[in-house]
Amino acid sequence: MRAALRRPAALLGGLLVVVHLVVAIAAPWIAPFAPTSLLDAPLEPPGATYWLGTDDLGRDAFSRLLWGGRVAMLVAFAAGAVAVLGGALLGLAAAYRRGGFDDVVMRLVEMKLAVPTILFVAIFVTGFGQSVPVLIVAVGIIQMMGVVRTSRAAGIVLMEQGYVRAAQLNGESGLIIILRELLPNVADLLAVEFALRASSALLLVSALSFLGLGISPPTPDWGLMVEDGMALLESEPALVLAPALCISTLVLGMNLAAEGLADALGLDAARGGGG
Amino acid sequence: MIALILRRGALSLVTLFLLASFIFFATEVLPGDALDVSLSADEIANMPAEVMARRKAELGLDRPILERYWGFLGGLLRFDLGRTIITRAPVGEIIAMPLRNSVALAGVTLLLALPVALAIAMAAAQAKGRAVDNAVSGAAIIGYSIPEFVTGLLLIAVFAVWWPLFPATITASTNDPLGVLLAAAPLAIATTIIGSVAYLGRILRVGLIEVMAADFVERLHLSGIPRWRIIWLHALPAAMIPGLSAAALYAASLVSGVVVVEMVFAYPGIGAELVRAVTRREVHVVQAIALAAAICVVLFNLLADLGIAALDPRTRR
Amino acid sequence: MSALSRRALGALSLLPGIAAAQGAPRRGGAITVAQCSANRFVASAQTARHPYFTVDLTTRIPYNALVWVDRQMRLQPELAIAWQPASADQSVWDITLRPGVRFHDGSPLRAEDVVASYQLHRQRNFASGQIQRIEAMADGRVRFSLDAGNSEFPYVLAEYQNMIMPAAPVETIGNTGIGTGPFRFASTDPNRVAVYERNPAYWREGFPYLDRIELHNREGQQETALAGLRAGQFDMVMTIDPRSVRNLQRDADLVVDSGGGGHHYVIQLPKYPGSPFEDKRVRQALALGVDREAIIRLVYGEGNGWVGNDSHLVAADPNFLAMPRLPRPEAVARARALLAAAGHPNGINLGTLYWSPQSPEVGRYFQVLQETAREAGLTMALEQRPADGYVQFRTGDNDLSKGSFHRFAMTAVGPRNPGISLFRMRGDFVESGHWRGAEHDRYMALYAEAMREGDAARRRAMFTAMQSLLHEEVPALLPAGTMTFSVRRRHVQGFEFHPQIWSVRFDEVWRG
Repeated sequence: MRAALRRPAALLGGLLVVVHLVVAIAAPWIAPFAPTSLLDAPLEPPGATYWLGTDDLGRDAFSRLLWGGRVAMLVAFAAGAVAVLGGALLGLAAAYRRGGFDDVVMRLVEMKLAVPTILFVAIFVTGFGQSVPVLIVAVGIIQMMGVVRTSRAAGIVLMEQGYVRAAQLNGESGLIIILRELLPNVADLLAVEFALRASSALLLVSALSFLGLGISPPTPDWGLMVEDGMALLESEPALVLAPALCISTLVLGMNLAAEGLADALGLDAARGGGG
Repeated sequence: MIALILRRGALSLVTLFLLASFIFFATEVLPGDALDVSLSADEIANMPAEVMARRKAELGLDRPILERYWGFLGGLLRFDLGRTIITRAPVGEIIAMPLRNSVALAGVTLLLALPVALAIAMAAAQAKGRAVDNAVSGAAIIGYSIPEFVTGLLLIAVFAVWWPLFPATITASTNDPLGVLLAAAPLAIATTIIGSVAYLGRILRVGLIEVMAADFVERLHLSGIPRWRIIWLHALPAAMIPGLSAAALYAASLVSGVVVVEMVFAYPGIGAELVRAVTRREVHVVQAIALAAAICVVLFNLLADLGIAALDPRTRR
Repeated sequence: MSALSRRALGALSLLPGIAAAQGAPRRGGAITVAQCSANRFVASAQTARHPYFTVDLTTRIPYNALVWVDRQMRLQPELAIAWQPASADQSVWDITLRPGVRFHDGSPLRAEDVVASYQLHRQRNFASGQIQRIEAMADGRVRFSLDAGNSEFPYVLAEYQNMIMPAAPVETIGNTGIGTGPFRFASTDPNRVAVYERNPAYWREGFPYLDRIELHNREGQQETALAGLRAGQFDMVMTIDPRSVRNLQRDADLVVDSGGGGHHYVIQLPKYPGSPFEDKRVRQALALGVDREAIIRLVYGEGNGWVGNDSHLVAADPNFLAMPRLPRPEAVARARALLAAAGHPNGINLGTLYWSPQSPEVGRYFQVLQETAREAGLTMALEQRPADGYVQFRTGDNDLSKGSFHRFAMTAVGPRNPGISLFRMRGDFVESGHWRGAEHDRYMALYAEAMREGDAARRRAMFTAMQSLLHEEVPALLPAGTMTFSVRRRHVQGFEFHPQIWSVRFDEVWRG
């Protein structure tokens, strides 16, 4: 970790993420207005009262910006956690058991690759509604399959190490070996995976919100704000550019942090980020 | 090698079967059927229940789910993709041209993005850790961090509306010759290229840096072979190996996964067709497209394996 | 309007009301149009020319119906020049066809074509199921026999699918795309493009002006369509979000047209046991507490919307009875007093209001509704549902004893005549929240009476009484509606938009 922070890019990334996190957590206290309240002053230009102006319903754009990452980040981090935990268990189990179980798991991975992401989420959301838990599960499953691949590959390498064999000879059960011997040894890898998965989940969530399949109004959300503001791009560019910048800087921060972490740990972040 | 391919082929068939079944049941459990969603709120508000029931029976929507599932599987075995529910049009005809258009978009994107990504990766790898590398990898990460819809909308705003160089939206027809269609789609292609260059550039850069640090490169270097020869003839093929499967999967995902770009630019591709089919509950169209996407993944995977075999001296031996 | 005056109007054989454009209309030229409204009707190669599978907005380019509804929601002759009830209870109607009309293939329009077309419509069109029999009469007229009296039957003849096609069996009728309209099909790319060219033998002499119309479908993709307009690819974009109007109006090269009316939303108020809406006072408080003017001001923009009256009628309808309006502070005070009387002195939580993005503005509409209702002590959560499966989601079982309840939810309502619109508040239909009781029975008795009433003035009195009942009872909430909007480049002239998008005409459009 300390090694990662010595790299300027990684430091910048970490800083970006921390700033976004702090703002999101503190939004209820630092936002000058409630994000949904109608202030009866539609489309005010940026000024002393409304730092970024107001949108066409008369809501304070700055307050909405401060609030706008909360739900998206919640979904992205929770989905990242679901993906990493589920993916690591599945991938390591596949590496441990190999054979038929491995084949089944790898078919699942292939299936996910073959189903276009948007279709998968569309089916999920249509079937179960557009709530935050549903989004977390849907996005988590999508991100999970990539983690399965990387942790399975790492697991296969670990299986050749002596201590797994030793544990097996001691009569330890498969689950215990996976949890006690394999999982701690891929912790570094999983930390990098988490950052990558969360950043890619955030991009996905904002694309979904943009398409109307993700976070729904009245929740303030960056992706929605971009979509919503497009009609006003010419006269009120800040309503589009500010939330677009927020999404990009947060994803950028997560990616830089992941790369720095990977570099420091001697891992390969770019390749993990695929699929 | 052949055994490996055969085994993979067999497993791929299993994947295809699982996928077909998954899509079938997933679209079946969704609320509403093709008839319901073909009617507007006003129509449903005014249509008597008997009429609805009669029309469902006419369309075969009242048959039990398993019966329809077997019918669907039987059709697949006969290479019959079926017909659409409401309009009775052959599914094959509906998806053929959009599929062609999507493959073309993916192909053009890769053709243009791969050399650029390669050049960037090589420049970065040559100068690892220096300003060039930092700038290039920074740009790649930024490119990777901007949502596609933002890139697309900004490209339209700048290069079609403010500075009208290119068409903002694609008015060419689904069946137009590919040349006409692609000529009408420069901004759509640019959007997919930006994302692709960023992604592929990162993968290739990492691969190259790893290889350049490897012992055999060091040895070649010491034996006096020029640096460019090392990179082109030795390091590059070796560096391609780990990147190749990721790149292949990425290429496959370009075919059906650029829904957002297709929507933003009205590109007549398979992704938008898929979204439309889901919202219309045209189960057979959804199935057919998902299968086509799956076949793409399987094919590209196979190609990557063959490519790795060709590039990697260890597998060749 | 008596049957006689309808006949007189028909004899004029002119379609009135299309805007006077500047200068003399020019002939020739082509325009390219994009449309953004959601539709599920554009379809496969074999059916893309069928009136059921073209965008409703454009059915009157290649086709005509028997009757047309004008911008003031009045009946106007189209392929029919007169319509008369042939029975006192309004259940039999005789239609006189316009003479000398030819289809695009040159064949003359006959009564048999109308009969064959309505064999399809009575099976498929939602409003035509009441037609029991259609006959070609010896004198060339067509007789429609209905299952019950319907004094407003001619409105059915103007519905968007009810176009007249050359006679063919029900299975294949309409697939050729041949109609009697001002333009004929040149080519189609299903789901994307339809190209039409001038019909030189159109029955309205001298029309149309244009040689060619190219229509591009940009369903749900308004930003792309508007970018195309600004980049010069499109001459017109139809059905745009009222909110973009202000921005577009700043552009000197663009003209925004308002339809003068348009769709609105009904909010179902479920009245099953245990629902807060069982109590009439809560419903009345909600009707008062929602700031209808604020919805129009913030969501649509001043002058771009209209205040609803908690019936399915639109304000553009001559039968519309406006609600008494109160100053906002007084409305809020009365809403709070009603809540207090109902035992909720500190306000009431109404649960979750479900909505679906049926138009671009829905999300903003319900946020304003939610925020303004809160001022009157009525709180609710909002939850978005995807458009598909939404009907099933919000509609429960008709039989409340089964325990599968319909929801506190919205849906869109198109602008239609009282005969269709006021029937939507019937107690066995979900949109009324399954309204029951003496007032409901009185409402339906009035409706039945109006449907048998041949005299328009007396019918109007009944419609008024029905709307007063709704103001008092609030079985459902219909707070505010929008205008339809389209935008064109200045060189497109002679165009008028319409509250019913399926009644838009391109006959008199020309290119300057």
